[in-house]
Amino acid sequence: MPRFLREFCIIAILTSIGAAFSLFSDLAPLPWAEPGLEPGEIRLVDARALEVLWLDARSEADYEAAHIPKAILLNEDNWDDGIVELMPEWLTNPRPIVVYCGSESCGTSKRIAERLREALPDAEIYSLKGGWDAWVQ
Amino acid sequence: MGAISQKSLVVLIARLVLAGVFVMAALPKIQDPGAFATSVAAFRVIGPGLSGWVALLLPWLELIIGLGILIPAIRRTSCALIGLLLLLFIALHTSAWVRGLDINCGCFGAETGEVSTDYRWLLLRNGLLLAATVLVLRQDRRNNHSALRS
Repeated sequence: MPRFLREFCIIAILTSIGAAFSLFSDLAPLPWAEPGLEPGEIRLVDARALEVLWLDARSEADYEAAHIPKAILLNEDNWDDGIVELMPEWLTNPRPIVVYCGSESCGTSKRIAERLREALPDAEIYSLKGGWDAWVQ
Repeated sequence: MGAISQKSLVVLIARLVLAGVFVMAALPKIQDPGAFATSVAAFRVIGPGLSGWVALLLPWLELIIGLGILIPAIRRTSCALIGLLLLLFIALHTSAWVRGLDINCGCFGAETGEVSTDYRWLLLRNGLLLAATVLVLRQDRRNNHSALRS
């Protein structure tokens, strides 16, 4: 057997053993399983079923280009303005708040949601799983 | 003699750096494959079904070839695979940069702070690692030819 092929087989076998270890020790979820929700996340289908207040945590340019209807722009750059716009909206009609950013892994929505939970401890606040990508799909 | 030793030292350092980077990149991803699957899916190159498999297999491959580059029995193929993976990463990052994706690269697992990716730094880093890989591969090839001749 050529040397390269022999070495490749050794590496493939060791990698497979490692992956099997991850699966059988429950380190890794089954690759074919539906990805679960992280704490504080909500799926789009559930958010749509509720009457929610949408917060857009993307950049102002992205917000201007397109956003979920009636969503309020609230990101780290315009925190004060966003809060001023959010408060009367939420106080006159308290409802769950859902924050979204660009994609599944952008992370801004989770940061904004966390910050909002400190500012509004009585509010029910979620970040949208999949973000804006989930909405446009 | 002095020049040869110096060159060998540079290749040894390059080998150790590559091993260190790949092992350090693999361990957090092995510990949290779910977060890595999310990072993989964010590149929008493969579907969510396939990203789970990549998140399961790729970290172990990185660990094995990261260690393998130090093990004589598999070091040449490990080095070649490191080079191929680096080329793949460079292509993926370039593609994500061109498409304007605001994502975490997931290179070292789910980085804390979740800051956006600096594509210039990523490409520079992977380019330097690729140069180190080429250096190690050339040295291994030379060593192999010398061994065959003697």
